Formats: sequence, structure tokens, C-alpha cells
Amino acid sequence: MQIKINKPGLLSTVQDMGRHGFLSQGVPVSGPMDTLSARIANIALGNNENDAVLEFTDAGAEFTAESDILIAYSGDGAILKANAFTLPADRPVFIPENTTITLSPNPSGYRTYLAIAGGWDVPEVLGSRSTYLPAKFGGFKGRALKANDKLNSTRIISIVTQHILKGLINEGIHYPKWSVARESFLPANKFTISVMKAGETDWFDVNSLKSFFSASYSVSVNSNRMACRLDGPCVALKKKRELLSTGVTAGTIQVSHEGEPIILMADGQTTGGYPRIGQVAATHLPLCAQLRPGQSIKFYEIGWDEAIKQYLHLMQQLREVETTIKNKFGDL
Amino acid sequence: MFADTYTTALKGYYLSETAVTVIFADQIGLATTQTITNINRRLLANPFPGFKAAVPAYTTLTVYFDPQQLIESNLQGWDNLQKVVNYVSGFPESSSDERSTAAIVEIPVCYDAEFGLDLDQLSLNNKLSIDEIIQLHSTTTYTVSMIGFTPGFAYLGGLDKRLFAPRKPSPRAAVPPGSVGIAGEQTGVYPLTIPGGWQIIGRTPLTLFDADLAQPVLLKMGDQVQFKPIDRITFNKLADADQN
Repeated sequence: MQIKINKPGLLSTVQDMGRHGFLSQGVPVSGPMDTLSARIANIALGNNENDAVLEFTDAGAEFTAESDILIAYSGDGAILKANAFTLPADRPVFIPENTTITLSPNPSGYRTYLAIAGGWDVPEVLGSRSTYLPAKFGGFKGRALKANDKLNSTRIISIVTQHILKGLINEGIHYPKWSVARESFLPANKFTISVMKAGETDWFDVNSLKSFFSASYSVSVNSNRMACRLDGPCVALKKKRELLSTGVTAGTIQVSHEGEPIILMADGQTTGGYPRIGQVAATHLPLCAQLRPGQSIKFYEIGWDEAIKQYLHLMQQLREVETTIKNKFGDL
Repeated sequence: MFADTYTTALKGYYLSETAVTVIFADQIGLATTQTITNINRRLLANPFPGFKAAVPAYTTLTVYFDPQQLIESNLQGWDNLQKVVNYVSGFPESSSDERSTAAIVEIPVCYDAEFGLDLDQLSLNNKLSIDEIIQLHSTTTYTVSMIGFTPGFAYLGGLDKRLFAPRKPSPRAAVPPGSVGIAGEQTGVYPLTIPGGWQIIGRTPLTLFDADLAQPVLLKMGDQVQFKPIDRITFNKLADADQN
């Protein structure tokens, strides 16, 4: 299966679930900003959870199916359309050769994930297919997608995917009535972000902490795959103190010397030396990935036990959906 | 949020739902670097159920894991924080054998003005001649006290006091790869073209990070490093050889 990119959009990259083997050498994880939507796109197709997907930022991209393709998309960055016809998200969709698909605006989010049967075929670099733009490696030739790039799927297609495809092959666009209920994995309020205590939370003065957990912060236009920068009240330490660089991860909220909170994201560095005011709950990090520049959020403090319980519950729910689809299509 | 263990003084905290940071000391030191290097090596050789990765730093070791596998394991502790801290605390202290086997890596550096962008400024500020700077910088054996910040960036401890220098007031937009710099009490080499505020005193023709190699990074935590002054002609020769 093959597609040709006609318009790349704002920023489009290939990502799998990340590069975990070289963290000790300073190589970031990368991978999807919104890991939940990326996983759902793969699950809906019967793919492996680590198969590479395309991450599109905002609307505007356009591609043409150069062969019959079986895809699934998830995430709130755009609505996929074939001419005026809207393709439903979170389920497998069969698209015949020569169909052109556009990503039209979806004001509710920022990033969209496109999975293809068997995953996108790019070489593994350091054990992963994820693109890491700052060092120009991984993904499609170590760079963001451009017009006229041709992307292929791998030929390794699971039995589940083969059965889904068999049921959908058609003259025209075809998809099932069922879908993965993505909304059921997300909180009702997408703009209140759960945050746990971090290593240096106690270093911040009481008023700063109060203001951090009550004020609104808006997402700065200077945000990218490395960090989500926030405009809002600055926070201050009780007294000037230096932190020795130590491990940081996606969701870590560092505070710059100017008092600006910064949430580290998928391409975030492996170690950091700024004091950390909190850690975004892993179940809420996908919400941060879907924030458009200018949108506002609030932080809400939760405990670690609660965060871990919620995370394990989410992973369990995803496994159950995966199993349901495997049972439905695995043994025909 | 901090967890004491029964057996040792090690403490730790959750970094995320899938990572715990174990604290070994509250300041940088050669002994701490060696302890963390050794414990990291033991952890990699004896991973616990669900272990994914470990990131050593100046005074900490951050351990990544699959939380479901770890909580179901029979490691000692009532939660994943306790389990990781207890497991890491269970490794014996380093032996003197391990300390003496640390690799010594020689890094050739051309200190010509063309590459040593901040040599003049450093000479002025620290009241040293350029020859003295080169002499002091290249006669010390450094220890890699951490890798981080960007792929392959090694923070080297052991810099001569007379070379201590603050970061530049505003960072350069692009520091060329191979640039050798000084910041505070540390020296290091930029592996990639990135923005940076270290004072640049020379450049190595060696590649410090190459994503196409199975072992992409030249240096690792605990390695010993020495800089060897070279002239411009040798720089070119080594740069050509490194390309091939």
C-alpha cells in the first residue's frame, strides 16, 4: 500500500511508540505527542501497538492513495475528507486507489494520527522508526514530510488486519459501523490537567504553588514537539537554589530561571537542570498534546497512588479493546 | 513522597508513573560518579521484571519500567517506588577493580583561533595566556560525570579551577559539532549543531554522535577523558579519516 503526500501541512512526521534504548546516551524517546490516539489508530486496524503512524499537526495536509489502502485515524487535529465526504475516525477505513484525502480543520484539537495496515515502512534507526528532528534521524529520511514524498506500508500484516481488510474491500470507500470509543478513555473536562508532585515542588514558595494550581495558563505559540511552553503567572522559588541535572521525562514541568513553567513533551531532553514544579499525569498528557496554541488550561493536584491507578486502568482498558478486536477478527 | 529503605540511606521519588529516580548524593563528586556508574552497570546486567531503561546523572539514577509487570513482581516493597529503591539499594558498593578499569579516551583538539571562538575572551577574563589555557585544559584527566542535554553530550568533571568560566550571557544560535567548551566547573564537547552558551576553546575532528552506528555515542558515564592538542593539518587528516 502506498500514498503520495500532496501537501505536508504544518508538521508531519513518522512516529512509532518511541526510542527507549538510548536514553542513557542522551537520545530522547520521541514517538507520538498523543500516544493514546496513536495507539487507538493502530488498535482499530489490528496492527501491532508499536507500528509506525503518521503524526499530522493541525489541518492542511493532503495525500493521495496510490494503491488501495486500509487506514485508521484518530486524534482531534483534523477531520479526514475525501472530496466532501467525511471519513469516520477511530475505525478501519478502506480507500480505493487514486482517492485524494484532505485534512480539514477540527477546532477541538491539534494532532491527528494516521495508521496503515502493517504500519508505515521506514527503516529503524537506533531501534525505532520515530523521527527526531533536532538531530535529523529516524522516520522518513530524518525529516518532516514534504510534497511528493511517497510512503509505503510494510508487508507484515497481522491475521486480524487481513480479516478486517477482507471484510471491507470494495469499489468505493468502505468502513464498519463499529469504532473504538476514544472519548471513553478521556476525561470529560479536557482543559483541567492532573499534576503530581515532582522532585522540587517543595522548593517553590507557597503563593507560587497556590497560583500555579488556580490560575489559567495558555499554550504559547513557541511550543513544539520538545516542549509545551505556557503563558501565565510566573512561579518563584522560596530561595535561589540550583538543581544538578537529573533525569526528566515527557510530562515533567520545569520552571525556567524567569519563572516560566514548561511541560516537556515527546522530543524532550533526557536530563534537565531546571527545578520541577510537577509532573503531568500520563493519562492527561494526550490532552496537552491536543492543545492548540492560545488554548488555556488549569492544573489540578492529584497524588501519585491515584495517578498510577488511573494509568494502569487506562492500559487495561486499551488491552481489553485490543483483545475484543482480535477475538472478533482473529479466527474467522 | 520520599521513601526510606530498611537497609540503606538511599532515597527516591516517582518521576512518572513509569519511572523512579534514586538519589545517591546531594553534590557532584568522583566517588558518586563511580558508584552510580557501577550500580547502573549491575542493574543492566541484572534487570528486574519490567525493567526498561536507566539514565544515570550527576547524583541520581532514573529507572524506567513497565508498572504492571513491576507491581506484579515479587520484589520487596509495597509499591513500585519502594520496589525500585530497594532493588537498587541491594547492589553492593563498587570495588576498586571496577574503578581502575574505566576506559581512557583520548580526544584530539585543535585550539586554533578559528575554532576557539571564545579563547581571547577567556584569556582576558581568567588572566591566562592562550598557551596556558591549552596547557591546563589538555594536561588534566577528566571523568564523564553525566551524558544528557542532547544526544551524546558528555559533561566532564575535573576541570582546573583556573579555567572555571560562566556561560555566555546569551547563547550562540548554532555551535558547530565537535566544539569543545567550558561552562562553570565543567568542560565538554558539542556532538551536534545546536544552540549553546558554553565558552568555546577548540574543536575535535572526531564524531561524538552518529545515529547510524550500533553504538552511536563515543563516550559513556564514568569514562576517563584526555584532550590532546593537534594542529590544523592533523585536524584535517583526522577529520577525513573519521568520515571514512
